[in-house]
Amino acid sequence: MINLTIVRLTLRGLFGRRRFLLLLPLPALIVGLALLAESLGATPPDWGQPVLVGLGFAAVLPVLALIVGASVLGSEIDDGTAVHLLAKPLPRREIVLSKLLVAFVVTAVVVGAGMLLAGLIAGSAELALGLLAGTAVGALAYTALFLALSLLTRRPVLVGLAYILVWEGLLTNLLTGTRVLSIQQYAISVADRVSGTDLFTGALSPQVSLLMAAGVAVVATALAVDRLRSFALTGDTS
Amino acid sequence: MTEPAAGVIHDIGYQRYQGARLGRRYAVRALYTHSLRTAYGLGRSAKSKVFPWLVVGIVGIVAVVVTAVRAVAGEVVLTYPGLPDAVFPLLILFGAIAGPELLSRDLHSGVLSLYFSRPVRRSDYALAKLAALVSAIWLLLAGAQLVMYLGAVFTVDGWSAIWDETTDLAGGLLYSAVHALVVAALAVLIASLLSRRAVAAPIVVAAFLVTLPVVGLLEAVGGETARQISGLFSPGTLVLGVRAWLFGSGVDDVPDLGGFEPLYAVVTLGLVAACVGLLLVRYRKVRA
Amino acid sequence: MTTVELSGVSRWYGNVVAVNDVTMSLGPGVTGLLGPNGAGKTTLLHMMAGFLAPSRGTVTVDGAPVWRHPAIYRTLGLITEREAVPGFLTGAEFVLSSARLHKLPDPVAAARQAVEMVDLGDAQHRRVGTYSKGMKQRIRVAAALVHDPAVLLLDEPFNGMDPRQRLHMMEVLHQLGETGRTVLFSSHILEEVAQLSGTVQVIVAGRLAASGDYRTIRRLMTHRPHVFTIHSSDDRRLAVALLAKEPVVGVELDPAAGLTVRTSDYGTFTRALPAVAVAERIRVTRVLPADESLESVFSYLVAS
Repeated sequence: MINLTIVRLTLRGLFGRRRFLLLLPLPALIVGLALLAESLGATPPDWGQPVLVGLGFAAVLPVLALIVGASVLGSEIDDGTAVHLLAKPLPRREIVLSKLLVAFVVTAVVVGAGMLLAGLIAGSAELALGLLAGTAVGALAYTALFLALSLLTRRPVLVGLAYILVWEGLLTNLLTGTRVLSIQQYAISVADRVSGTDLFTGALSPQVSLLMAAGVAVVATALAVDRLRSFALTGDTS
Repeated sequence: MTEPAAGVIHDIGYQRYQGARLGRRYAVRALYTHSLRTAYGLGRSAKSKVFPWLVVGIVGIVAVVVTAVRAVAGEVVLTYPGLPDAVFPLLILFGAIAGPELLSRDLHSGVLSLYFSRPVRRSDYALAKLAALVSAIWLLLAGAQLVMYLGAVFTVDGWSAIWDETTDLAGGLLYSAVHALVVAALAVLIASLLSRRAVAAPIVVAAFLVTLPVVGLLEAVGGETARQISGLFSPGTLVLGVRAWLFGSGVDDVPDLGGFEPLYAVVTLGLVAACVGLLLVRYRKVRA
Repeated sequence: MTTVELSGVSRWYGNVVAVNDVTMSLGPGVTGLLGPNGAGKTTLLHMMAGFLAPSRGTVTVDGAPVWRHPAIYRTLGLITEREAVPGFLTGAEFVLSSARLHKLPDPVAAARQAVEMVDLGDAQHRRVGTYSKGMKQRIRVAAALVHDPAVLLLDEPFNGMDPRQRLHMMEVLHQLGETGRTVLFSSHILEEVAQLSGTVQVIVAGRLAASGDYRTIRRLMTHRPHVFTIHSSDDRRLAVALLAKEPVVGVELDPAAGLTVRTSDYGTFTRALPAVAVAERIRVTRVLPADESLESVFSYLVAS
């Protein structure tokens, strides 16, 4: 199901590119801001919402998931090296799942580390674990979605940004009914329930969140596998 | 198949161009116009029009809805300055798409050496691109505000009411310009540093989104003063402060900033100036 | 012994037909896919490699379809035209990763062998990003050959190679063809195809214009006059005598190039020439078929 060579190649491809390394400081911002708040004398009830939700779940998690998820397969399709992977007797499901694993783990670990530390700064191990759980759920759904997008459209990053800004940023705040379709809410709700915290509240029940997140991940991955099976090289004009 | 090895140079009229050359000003103007058209995907394939016009569509719908509500129920849901603030996420999206489109592409395709070997100077190039994005965003907002204005003109009676509307519109257009400057300056600066569009776009968005929690933090944490200056730390709330300075705080959703309004204006100006300065430095240093 | 079969294959994009009803069968040995730019060679190759679905018709390798069938890549190797290699890997790592992805029993040995075959043993530990264009091409060939495929498809493989590299690559491909593999390479350069393959598939504007040995194709085009260059002791008298004969369509005298004779019937002419020379007591020193090169075949085919 998971191909180690693909995992290795993908990891090297991610970390070998300079621009990805520029993104690693983003989760550090979460920690930095938490420390700053504490040093200013604020208490977690004050800075919990803006830092953990506003910065963590609403900005850092989706943006990092977008950059990682869209490039883990998308960058190879773009620069033409996808043929190296595809002209092999590998089931397409294996390729997608291996890449998804890398994207998910990298996003969850990188963002999760920041969230975990911020939770500890807030003084509660439960909170830290809850945040990590929420991050993991969100990371899975986001990376699966953005990986599928990289096979479905030619500009996956822009579509992903539109989703983050317009759908999650604007509309779900205006139309509360659509919250059930917001990955951000799944992450927040799971974190809320697992940590039992008062610092922030998720709009959905944890069961719905987990179900929907799993659903998004499964559907997106199935779509991605199918599209990869029909992957066509556009012929050059010469 | 074998022909005698003869060589003749045919005079097909090739001559060096001896006529008038339009010079630097024309070149810069052409660059500006071309960039403005690129921001809206004009003159390019249908795919490049999708995102910009999607944004235009949504902003337009907002304007139409607001106008309709005003016409029917007489209630002003959104004032002219309120529009840019309400659709701010869309402006970020537009900047994140158009900025890399204008700048990152040239960096990636190695076209800069062609540009800089023409009368266009490096600073001209950077400023023309910036001006194009500022204009693009301003046009987007101004168009929507114009729709609101036209609707209002037909709703209210009396010349004095219309005059009031007109002055309100003028204020709104000015505020739109402030928005356009701030968003464009940041988007252009970030895009000029990255040669891949797919990376520049999320980073532009991140730059706006990531600073927002700082504001929330200061609001929640500090005292009255901290709350009043918290808006300085994120572009979205920064322009809101300028709105307070221009039109008075405590009105609509504009927070009361307790006398700090001029500071907001100064910081905004400073931010834009810094971005422009960094942009010029960037293009002086970039390897063509 | 693996056969690639195309049966009534067409591919269109909206109103543009890129490949038009192509039926061909590729067997062991080296076949050249020849055609001008835009003729549909790349489209055809992509369909053969399972990277494009034909709009109509079937493409099979030993009876098994190639589209949506990844297992086919056990016996198939593909080298695309676009020189895309992950720059951050070294040459050896790139070929090794290819071997591993093929799930070979001894990937390290297979990779080493493949790298030696393309003569990149010295440069294999450098990052591919530092390679020249020709070296990148060769390392891709190594990666495509590492699993010893029975079918090898190459799209313009000699692009960007200098003469020495090209010779070496031709050697490699020739060897592969000799050992019973089915090798197909596309090119729009006639010399390459003439040097390497005896069998040619000529594709023009999406249609298969001719297939088989190029000399045979030439002979089949009987409505085109064959052209011979003859050097003799008395060209003018020979010319006059030949013109009296039926199969001769035209003669041309040139002091430097000798006598050029155009004839419509190759067989009759070759019998008539010695008879005429003997009868006229002219010594013929050279008889050369002037246009039985792939180039003339090609230009005739394209012109028609």
